[in-house]
Amino acid sequence: MSAWAVGKRTPRIDSIGKVTGKAIYADDIKLPGMLYGKVVRTKYPHAKILNIDISEAKRVKGVEAVLTAKDIPGVNRVGVAITKDQPIIADDKVRYMGDALAIIAAHDLRTAQFAASLIKVEYEVLPVIEDPEEALFEASVKIHDKGNLICHHKVRKGNIDAGFSEADIIVERKFETQMVEHSYIEPESAIAEPLDDGGVRVFGCMQNIYTSRRILAQVLNLPMNKVVCVQTTMGGSFGGKDDAMNILACRVALLALATGKPVKITYTRDESMIDSYKRHPYKMYYRVGLKNDGTITAAEIKIYANGGAYASMSEFVTWRSVVHATGPYRIPNVSTDIYAAYTNLNYTGAMRGFGSPQIALAYETLMDECAEKLGIHPYEIRKKNLLRTGDTTATGQVLDGKVSLNEVVDAVCEASDFINKYTEYKNNRARPGIRKRGIGLACSYRGVSLGAEGVDYGTCFLKLEEDGTLIISIGITDMGQGARTVQAQFAAEILGLTLDRISVLDINTSRAPDSGPTVASRGTLISGNAITNAAQKIRRNLELACEQLIGKTSSGFIFENNMIINPENGRAVSIKDAAAKAIKMRLPIHAEGFYPAPQTSWDEATGQGLAYFTYVYGANVAEVEVDMETGKVNVLKVWASHEVGKAVNPEGVEGQIYGGIAMGLGLGILEEFEFKNGVPQTTNFDEYLIPTSMDIPEIECRIVENPDPIGPFGAKSIGEPTNELAAPAILNAIFNATGKRISETPANLEVVLLGHKLKR
Amino acid sequence: MGYVKVRFELNGRELELEVPSNITLVELLRERLNLTGTKKGCEIGECGACTVIMNGAPVNSCLVLAPQVDGSRITTIEGLSKNGKLDIIQKAFIEAGAVHCGFCTPGMVLSAKALLDKIPHPTIDEIKEAISGNLCRCTGYWQIIKAIQMASEML
Amino acid sequence: MLPEIQYLSPTTVDEALNMLYENKNARILAGGTDLLIELKKLPINENVTLIDISKINELKYIEDEGDFISIGPLITHQELSRNEFIKKWFPFLSTACSSIGSPQIRSRGTIGGNICNGSPAADTPPVLVALDATVTLKNKDGERELLVSDFIIAPYKTERKPSELLTKIRLRKLIPGYGFSFIKLGRRNALAISRMNIAVAMLVKEGVIEDVRIACGSVFPTTMRVPAAENFLAGKKPSIELFKDVGEIVSNEMVRISGYRWSTPYKKPVISAMVKNSLVEAVGRRVI
Repeated sequence: MSAWAVGKRTPRIDSIGKVTGKAIYADDIKLPGMLYGKVVRTKYPHAKILNIDISEAKRVKGVEAVLTAKDIPGVNRVGVAITKDQPIIADDKVRYMGDALAIIAAHDLRTAQFAASLIKVEYEVLPVIEDPEEALFEASVKIHDKGNLICHHKVRKGNIDAGFSEADIIVERKFETQMVEHSYIEPESAIAEPLDDGGVRVFGCMQNIYTSRRILAQVLNLPMNKVVCVQTTMGGSFGGKDDAMNILACRVALLALATGKPVKITYTRDESMIDSYKRHPYKMYYRVGLKNDGTITAAEIKIYANGGAYASMSEFVTWRSVVHATGPYRIPNVSTDIYAAYTNLNYTGAMRGFGSPQIALAYETLMDECAEKLGIHPYEIRKKNLLRTGDTTATGQVLDGKVSLNEVVDAVCEASDFINKYTEYKNNRARPGIRKRGIGLACSYRGVSLGAEGVDYGTCFLKLEEDGTLIISIGITDMGQGARTVQAQFAAEILGLTLDRISVLDINTSRAPDSGPTVASRGTLISGNAITNAAQKIRRNLELACEQLIGKTSSGFIFENNMIINPENGRAVSIKDAAAKAIKMRLPIHAEGFYPAPQTSWDEATGQGLAYFTYVYGANVAEVEVDMETGKVNVLKVWASHEVGKAVNPEGVEGQIYGGIAMGLGLGILEEFEFKNGVPQTTNFDEYLIPTSMDIPEIECRIVENPDPIGPFGAKSIGEPTNELAAPAILNAIFNATGKRISETPANLEVVLLGHKLKR
Repeated sequence: MGYVKVRFELNGRELELEVPSNITLVELLRERLNLTGTKKGCEIGECGACTVIMNGAPVNSCLVLAPQVDGSRITTIEGLSKNGKLDIIQKAFIEAGAVHCGFCTPGMVLSAKALLDKIPHPTIDEIKEAISGNLCRCTGYWQIIKAIQMASEML
Repeated sequence: MLPEIQYLSPTTVDEALNMLYENKNARILAGGTDLLIELKKLPINENVTLIDISKINELKYIEDEGDFISIGPLITHQELSRNEFIKKWFPFLSTACSSIGSPQIRSRGTIGGNICNGSPAADTPPVLVALDATVTLKNKDGERELLVSDFIIAPYKTERKPSELLTKIRLRKLIPGYGFSFIKLGRRNALAISRMNIAVAMLVKEGVIEDVRIACGSVFPTTMRVPAAENFLAGKKPSIELFKDVGEIVSNEMVRISGYRWSTPYKKPVISAMVKNSLVEAVGRRVI
């Protein structure tokens, strides 16, 4: 197919409002008569609530409502995955420092904040659990009545004992990752407005407004058609504006309905960090058997995920981990167990990568350790074991689509001269010198979209107007990743429209149909297929109109540049005129698009099944310089290769790669959300350190395109795979430079110099 | 609550108003003057989302007490495009793919503006330093750096 | 959110001194990069009097006074890092100033504020302490001059009386031949709070160390010079081995004075290396 929009470097269609400051983010909204809300939070991370006295706060002039759990008309236990265990406002007990005890609405924020200081709470303080393994001890205090286990997933393949008995060496390692904060620069914000019909409209930066609506309806005890969620311009999310925003939406809606007035709550950065969920810290025990030639014979893995106070996405995050835990390698005998447990830390849920960055740190650094032990080059050991087309994964899935691992690994290794540099730097280790260079490789495969987690489909509505402009309404949202631009490109490609003729609507739950959440790097594939489906329907009717306007053709009309051309006679007509003609012919020029994703399957008992309908493949090489006296690591350059099926907007793909690597660098060497007895210590950007412009390496991208039969124009995904490789590549590079194996993140000054963290 | 009379130039216009003594410049801009292009991200001068240009230099407007604007010249993102025409930095940001979620963008653009006003043809290191007080979580910074280089070439 | 603020804005030093005299609990606002963060942590119904000195033009100067350079407290980090006098006479002060925070912080933050805030991790004090810089404090009754090292007495605590205003920072020019260095170790390459920092000024004459000053930040309770190390170096020939030994001396002094803390296993070897490296750099980087 000749592509004239898909595959072109395309500036974002929603940039103008953002560069002029006119784009409306949630906190920019001010409604007439609007009140300001404040959340009153617990003083202890784990305690029974004995009594809450709100009387004094209520008496403050300017305070219009002080609500506690008792004022919630519907359910007060919500969740985005399977277990619904999180209160909007805590009732019986508090389980982490973000738990709310009351919410307040007042004429101004100062008054609300003052009233908050007058609320008196009596607690019975309970012991604090920070560690997921400890949480699962029989004697540990129960954070939830059902016990501290959130879930357990497993994978069983082959015969693990036979696999290890075939091995010449067995390598074991424990690996620990830290808690990571999404660090979207826009803090959470939402505004609720009561509606005439008894319903409520919520504006805000909810990532998944359909989930928000479902939860709002349950909490407010309202039918879904009376709850309207409108997504404002999103100042970043990275998976982070799901649960926390759903809960915030409920809090403002409760206040709006109680007062009959619009209410806004915007969290400060400290509130955002204390309230919001994070990336799961993992404790991982890996045991791998290999033959002397590097062939892996068996892998036995046990992982404890720190789920924090509530289940959130733990069930799904750990499921993705269990599927991918052995990495992109052919391993005949596998036994993997992963447990998620409640603790009294911030709850953990979805964050870009979704259970993959943690395991990639373990299996990719372990792969280098095995190579070192066997005296094999890290490149060679990977080439020997990488999955190839037709191979079977740990979950028993035969990869019948094209497996591009060798391509991406070779691309980064060639571009970086990895093979030679690795050996050179390794030989340099013993030589004197303060600054040592190192280079490291990491690769992965990743299931696209939800997989066997849930029902997967996309739907949209396309409306061509009589002047030849197009309106797209779709539930897959743009959080800054460029979804709208890609969506417009698909429609432009099929209908021959220039992008200035296409609008993608802001999302409103009452207008656009639900396409499931914008998560799991599914946006391009799902929305692209739905839009393609709708656009083809409109195109067919335009073709019928064109047959009358510019004659029939057997070789197909060409749709390009707002014109439709008959290639056989050279006659052309504008899309505007074709649209007008179609209307006259009483042919619809609007259409609904629907895309049901292919089926997946999963057997929870054996951990076997078709986990995902397709996969993407990626590899990174990182080159670092380590200051051997201070432990300071400077990442000099990262080479990244990703197989994306088809790069719909190469500018956007590169943007995802750059951003994913920067975030991966943060995971690898900088960021850690720290606690002291359950109390968060790093609640703003002075203590929680994300990379600045002076910390990022040079980045070279190699995009590999192997169009996927399932993807629209062959396109798959890119958002998350970019975020799981930089950290292990950096850690491997540090090892190459120093000879010191690091088994915890972040590899900060202390860890690199001393080999372990220092606790305050 | 005390009020203080201030006179200052905002986006080329002389303003004279009474400001509360206990609000910051970002609050003055957003809450009182409805200039919401200036964003609030951390309120402690770490993220740079609230960057404005004050007397030619980039500053965190969350760390300027509102009364301190008296006698100064302030440029916010709203003052950058003239008569509906985008500034070349804004154009370059769009062209280079430097705009993702957009929340850091106003501050980034103004840091870039303050740099290019002083050094029209900066090196990559000078660009990195100039935006080192503006955190971005989406882009990994490279498209922003490229945009500033492009703007510099258009100067 | 800020507490209740009574805002005063003097335009002369005399006016400011009167206000300080009349408002015993007033806080002094200059660039605001530290103070506003601190104020935002207070209960919102607290009452604070702020004396904003940022309009006092007589506190904005950098003057060559022959043997001395004097600096007005309102000079910003930005101005200091670009000033030609400073670059010529105290290049490591330029280095220190340009390492602070971010461009936005450097264009508001002042040297006076950096000193008076008394943070143990501040970046200008090591240089000022190494240079035996003084501060002049003035009140209605008169003025006094004291060493920066005597002025900062504990973390976030200084000798300044509530009635006093810092009006001058004075640095004695070192004779040509001195070498300088400032090294800062941060977790990031920008927006970094110093994990530790160190300033060195050293004069080597005829192959022998004639004078050396070593001042460290975030190593001792306050920024201070290390006499044990300086005395050890005096009269000796510069060499890597010697500098390594001095590094050991400083790190031992750290443990002796600051005690053994959670961070000591890291800080001890690292300050030792930083001392060595800053001395090496000071040999190579001399003022002309």
